[in-house]
Amino acid sequence: MRMFATIAKLLVMRVLTAIPILFVVSMLLFGILRILPVDPAAMSLPPNATTQEVEAMRSEMGLNRPIYEQFGIWLGKLLEGDIGRSIHFRQDVTSLIGSTLPATIELALLAMMVGTVLGIAGGLFLFYVRGTRAEAVMDFVSILLLSLPEFLWSLFLLLIFGVFFEVLPFTGRLSPGFERPVVTGFLLFDSLITGNIATLLNAMQHMILPSLALGIALSPALMRVLRSSLLDAYQDDYIHQARLRGLSEKRLLVRHGLKNAILPTLSLMGVQFGFLFGGTLLVEIIYSYPGMGNLMVDAIRNADLPIIQGAGLTYCVAVLVISIVVDSLYLILNPKLRVR
Amino acid sequence: MTFSIDRRNLLQMLGLAAVGGSVLSRADIAYAAETDSVTIGWPSDVPSWDPNLRFVPDAQPLFKMVYDQPLDQAPDLKLIPNLITTWEPQPDGMSMPFEIRNDVKFHNGDLMTMEDIKYTFVDRIKSGLKLDIANSWRTLTDIEILSPTSGVMRFSAATPTAPQWLAFLGSYVVPKAYVESVGAEEFAKKPIGTGPYKLVDYQMNSRIVLERNEDYFGTKPKIKRVTIDIIKDPSARAAAIQAGQVDLTVNIPVREAERLGKVEGLVSEINPFTRLILLQMRNDKGFADQAIRLAAHHAIDKAALSKAFYGGAAVPLSVPATPGTPGYLPDYNFAYDPDLSKKLLADAGYSDDKPATFTLAATNGQFPSDFDIARALVQMWQKVGLKVELQQIEYSKYFELNRGGQLPEATLYSFDNATGDPEIFSGYLMNPKMPFGAWKGQEIGDKILKLFVEPDYEKRITGYKDLAKEIVETGANVPLLQSVQTLVRKQDLNYVKYGNAWVLGNTMSWS
Repeated sequence: MRMFATIAKLLVMRVLTAIPILFVVSMLLFGILRILPVDPAAMSLPPNATTQEVEAMRSEMGLNRPIYEQFGIWLGKLLEGDIGRSIHFRQDVTSLIGSTLPATIELALLAMMVGTVLGIAGGLFLFYVRGTRAEAVMDFVSILLLSLPEFLWSLFLLLIFGVFFEVLPFTGRLSPGFERPVVTGFLLFDSLITGNIATLLNAMQHMILPSLALGIALSPALMRVLRSSLLDAYQDDYIHQARLRGLSEKRLLVRHGLKNAILPTLSLMGVQFGFLFGGTLLVEIIYSYPGMGNLMVDAIRNADLPIIQGAGLTYCVAVLVISIVVDSLYLILNPKLRVR
Repeated sequence: MTFSIDRRNLLQMLGLAAVGGSVLSRADIAYAAETDSVTIGWPSDVPSWDPNLRFVPDAQPLFKMVYDQPLDQAPDLKLIPNLITTWEPQPDGMSMPFEIRNDVKFHNGDLMTMEDIKYTFVDRIKSGLKLDIANSWRTLTDIEILSPTSGVMRFSAATPTAPQWLAFLGSYVVPKAYVESVGAEEFAKKPIGTGPYKLVDYQMNSRIVLERNEDYFGTKPKIKRVTIDIIKDPSARAAAIQAGQVDLTVNIPVREAERLGKVEGLVSEINPFTRLILLQMRNDKGFADQAIRLAAHHAIDKAALSKAFYGGAAVPLSVPATPGTPGYLPDYNFAYDPDLSKKLLADAGYSDDKPATFTLAATNGQFPSDFDIARALVQMWQKVGLKVELQQIEYSKYFELNRGGQLPEATLYSFDNATGDPEIFSGYLMNPKMPFGAWKGQEIGDKILKLFVEPDYEKRITGYKDLAKEIVETGANVPLLQSVQTLVRKQDLNYVKYGNAWVLGNTMSWS
């Protein structure tokens, strides 16, 4: 009960602190985008619009008002749930984000799972081979993994498994001919609840390469942190005492070493998830994956400020939510924090 | 350390992996191969399924498969009847009587009538909807309905290019009754046209699935189902055609197209089309002196640019029009002559000690090899003694910079004109009242404004041909190359090649 009370208290505190963070982020986003030398009014009209038409549009969009006034109006609408209307698509930004966000969340979660499995397995292996020649090899491999960005992994995996071996699809979320159930927008979930197993399996095939590309790029940092955390943990007395008590090395690792070493890794996973969310931008373009990253690239190309603002805020909310989840997990895993 | 991965653990893990793999492999990878369907790898999506809403040249072939335009274009770009069967622009250019077909049905079974035409081009625009076609039809005041199949377009000023605009950007007929009953937003979600295909599935930025319209009034498509995969990354498009995940794709790098052309079962083409690559010039700052502008033009080896960046397929141009279009001058040549460049500069008082200087702006990635071309231009200019600074700009900022008079002396630019009409080449590029051109010289501007309202076709075309020469010989514009579209397809997939790079599923068939 005490644990739940502490977590609830934390949640309330974090939500309260998230409000000023979101306010500052929205202010920065709005300010920076207004400094850019692009004219949303001109962008919202066809190229053959006259100067008078552009001026009329500028006035209609409120762009001739002082920037603080524009921000006030935008913030007021934001509080009513209106993020604005896309200049390029001429649709509500909320509906555009709503239709693309589930795909990105699904991809990011799967990539996180892949990255976590690879990271933890790699970290354990690095720890296991410590002091041997294999450690140097594994060190080299982890640095190599760390130095390649997601989009290079994307191209590499696409060429290997998509073009050379031709075993995996790499465009979109489904192959032609598969029925696409639309319930929540989360394709895997929707396929599952509608009992469409063929679609589910095909969608999973389509997600293997993008989630691997994102996950592989995420894993080396986890590997290295887990390995060094384990090395630190194994210096502590309780490990020696446990070993003297006759615990097997496997039990020692799982029950004592890993339990303590996982906390910094968990913390890093929270940070990395934010980066991973941002990393979907290019990966989604390469794999023609219809998520928010793909939408964001369109928005940047067309200087579609309302979408950029909306997507920026969504990323911010996602990072805040993840950090709250990670902090809650911290509390669950580390009793000392609950006492404080 | 006794902890280890023993043989049992390893076998367990391998077993799990094998089960997972076999489950996944049961979902077949549905590659494109069926003879009644085709999958196209296309570089961009539609901005909205409301075809009147936004002007996006790359989206036109997608719209053309679902909607119809009042007039159409043949592969050689000549205007041909479509929904409109006859049209007669009047000698004063102020009106245009026309007749429409009486056998055209929308995808929901409703008959297309004159009311739909009037609604699309007059009522929708006047209703206050922010539609891009409002700008192309701003001189259209009314469509008078004379009978169920005949009407008259009436203009507030002479509009000699009305027929061209009836087959150009955004001019697609939408169903009045349906749009009014469901509203514009719902119409964009569930679009209904009269085109050869119906939209059956759409996922933004990913896939468009079209199915043949069995009630189509025109030639019925041979392919029943067209799937368009939106693949924005050129490398991914190249990979998709090589892996057989699509049957045809466009706009991949020239070198990739050449490589894929050698792959068994694939054919690649590098097709010039109605897009110009040119330099927008200012008539002030470092370009106030005509001699410098002409020296800059004579110093450009256009054939070398074509060879280096487009495999030699991009046609070097001397006028701002593409071969085969009405405003093109096949016998006119603006010479590549670096010696003449040097002489022009020397005569104007420039030397190595006192070089003529200016800035070139270029986009990076807006069209193939744009920034590379800009770098090559700078080197060519350096050879004749021109000192040039290269500045990178975003395409989205072009109009804003131009409007504020902030573009530098020269800007590398590409300009699409699917109609091929010279008004939309020289006219739009040089009209000082339009946002495209950086040139603000009044003399050329006045001539263009007269041509915009010249109703006599022959006089209009002759006027534009004369103007094209004048533009080039005064250094008001520097045409460089006719742009190319790369296309890679499966060997047994046939399609009809259009001079404006349209790629239409309804013209495709399998051998």
